[in-house]
Amino acid sequence: MHTEHTIETPHQRQNRHKAMEAISVINALKEDFKFPIQSMGYFYDLFETVYCRHEPLHEGKVKIGTMCIQIPSEIIYALDGVPIRLCNGFYTDDEIGSDLLPQKSCPLVKATVGWFASDNFSDKPDITFSPTTCDQKTKAGAIIESFGHTVIDVGFPRTKESEESHHYWRESVKSFAVKLSKFQGKKLTRSNLESAIKKIGYAQSLYHKLTEFRKNKAVPILGVDMFLVTNAFFFDKIDEWIGAVEKLVAELEQRASAGVNVAGKASPRIVYTGSPPIFPNYKIPLIIEQSDAVIVADETCSSNRMFNDMVAVDEWNLYDMIDSVSDKYLKACTCPIFTQNDDRIRRIIQLVRSYSGDGVIYQAFAGCQVYEMEQRSVLAAMEREGIPILYIESDYSPSQHGQLTTRVEAFVESLKNRKRMKK
Amino acid sequence: MTKNKFSLRRSVNNMNLVRFRFWFQIVAFVLIVYGGYIGLDLGNKLPTFACVFNGEGTGGKCYVGELQHDLKHPLEGFVGFAGYAFLISLGMFMVWFWALNKGWCGFVCPLGTMQDWLTMVREKSKIRYSEYSWANRGKIKSIKYILLILLLLLPVMIANSVFGLPKLPNGLSMPFCDICPGRMMIPAFTGHFNQFYIDFSSKTDLVMTTLGMIIVGLFLVGSFVKKRFFCYFCPMAALQYVFSKPALLKLYKDGAKCTRCGDCYRACDMDILEIADDVTSKNLVTEDCTLCLKCVAACPEEGCLEANFMGATIFESTKEGFILRMAMDQRGEKHAH
Ligand code: SF4
Ligand code: SF4
Ligand code: SF4
Ligand code: SF4
Ligand code: SF4
Repeated sequence: MHTEHTIETPHQRQNRHKAMEAISVINALKEDFKFPIQSMGYFYDLFETVYCRHEPLHEGKVKIGTMCIQIPSEIIYALDGVPIRLCNGFYTDDEIGSDLLPQKSCPLVKATVGWFASDNFSDKPDITFSPTTCDQKTKAGAIIESFGHTVIDVGFPRTKESEESHHYWRESVKSFAVKLSKFQGKKLTRSNLESAIKKIGYAQSLYHKLTEFRKNKAVPILGVDMFLVTNAFFFDKIDEWIGAVEKLVAELEQRASAGVNVAGKASPRIVYTGSPPIFPNYKIPLIIEQSDAVIVADETCSSNRMFNDMVAVDEWNLYDMIDSVSDKYLKACTCPIFTQNDDRIRRIIQLVRSYSGDGVIYQAFAGCQVYEMEQRSVLAAMEREGIPILYIESDYSPSQHGQLTTRVEAFVESLKNRKRMKK
Repeated sequence: MTKNKFSLRRSVNNMNLVRFRFWFQIVAFVLIVYGGYIGLDLGNKLPTFACVFNGEGTGGKCYVGELQHDLKHPLEGFVGFAGYAFLISLGMFMVWFWALNKGWCGFVCPLGTMQDWLTMVREKSKIRYSEYSWANRGKIKSIKYILLILLLLLPVMIANSVFGLPKLPNGLSMPFCDICPGRMMIPAFTGHFNQFYIDFSSKTDLVMTTLGMIIVGLFLVGSFVKKRFFCYFCPMAALQYVFSKPALLKLYKDGAKCTRCGDCYRACDMDILEIADDVTSKNLVTEDCTLCLKCVAACPEEGCLEANFMGATIFESTKEGFILRMAMDQRGEKHAH
């Protein structure tokens, strides 16, 4: 406990603000919904430990920062590192970053830059790898480096159809592996890569089991809880995460057979796409689920895109494993930074079909040019398919809450009417 | 949900395709290469390399060999009865072929199987496979058709003067057999190495048999470094593809479910880009496909790829099957390959 005379340092203040942001979301998840899931307790505690109490999880381990999903965690684990994904959802950090980046930048990037600028980590990355994905992330690497952190760029192509791109990316991944292997003083071998691939594959298979339940008529888990589970994978100890999700799968199995439904009978089923909801910026998902709709699937890089595609190896030798790891991160990726993006559109449609979605909510961060630019083509495609869609721009500030709620509620209401009419 | 129940369909979809194919190919190899010793005779219209030069051992005979033989007749002959006979044998070939479509290549052909064995040796020695660049991959597609046309045309040109050209020497009567690796490799398995020779009796024979020896060398080295090296050039594949549309066994794709992750393409020994990139066609039996079904086994998307026999799904891609085949179904690290 603090004595009354201590003056709060900037770090303490930052931590206090972040703790406030974090706890209000955790409490909302815990208390605002019916039929809470017991095994979600692990995740609520985890986020409290890390973001309210700022306790480190990986003391004594080498932490490898990643700026996007494209840095293969299979290789990091094989080389005994702990991957920490640095995509950040805190408004507190976003505000710090705002002074360092153009005003209209993406809040996620601002928050990540702000986090580094303040140099206030509970698990500070020892080295950070930054794939050249969107412009803002690409440029952020050098800015973060200027604060005295070690940042290494990993070249990422912006087309995925061409042969040159495939080779370029495979070479990038190889050189990433070489650099990390030097940094760690450890060799990448057939057996350490194979077990890392299989471990992550197993973690992904658990995610797939979770999503299967969301296809049911009675949905046993909320979208916001799912976001929290996948978000934990950014930084959690992988074995603990696996254990917790195994329990969650078991509990959902029971709930599914008991027909537990976290939503109402008439609640519209939403497929969520666009800029990633990253803890504690669950603003839009929370509004959706507090407005009597339920998120049954998503197409975002903080959740589904991170887990859907597993590494597929044909010959379990090092050469083929590295190539298949590379391919996994490029080929099926539906990131908006690519020139063509029919894959993303087909994916959204497929999610709507297989999860019996009633509508799509597309969020773009104000300042995320690529998601903003893709909005038209996605809207047009949904119209062709007869799928209702709502496009929302938002940022990390708490200010527009009322207006966003009104828009989401109106959309949910229209979906309900549509459902009624169909019957 | 059927998920919780035991079902035949589920266990088929979960099967270890590599193991299944390995044993299936061995059985097929034994029947084709040694079947003759136990009296097996599947006729001489087989859509696979059951080599006539394998003497008593062969359990049937290759239609490409037969076809060259059939065509070496004066054209007038084809008008009457011989013409009917020719069509009947072609028809027999088609009936055989339609049963398995190009599955003859992925599961039966002894030359295909030998190449797969060489691939296994390479894989065990931890040597990386080589690949063609996409541009070259596209270019070499036409070679098999050129070989096919030559093997059809040359015998005709021996018996006839085509376009007023002089008739060709008799040494070209089985032009493809001369250069076919099957002529040397298959009899070798029944202990007959007498096909490894160079024939000095005439210039044509000399050239053709030398070429044959070179091609066998290429076959062995090529398929060690490149999966299914010979199949890229195989005129049997070209001939089969002409009749592939009405075949009963099919490889179907539901493009809406495809994420274009490319897992199928990586698994494909024939480097067929369309299998991953084509999201509009339903029938994915392309010209070089061997219907080996490795792509189906490697696809992680539920029901995206399937082997279909006369309208019934017999084996389809599922998440569960994928996870089992990749040994990602358990927490531990006990799955050493
Ligand atoms: S939300 Fe957009 S701008 Fe922000 S990091 Fe992602 S792609 Fe880049
Ligand atoms: S040599 Fe080749 S083409 Fe000729 S019969 Fe034998 S397998 Fe068939
Ligand atoms: S392509 Fe030719 S060599 Fe290859 S498996 Fe088919 S028939 Fe045999
Ligand atoms: S493996 Fe399946 S999902 Fe992936 S590209 Fe091939 S067909 Fe599409
Ligand atoms: S497309 Fe599929 S079935 Fe055809 S050769 Fe390739 S892997 Fe085999």
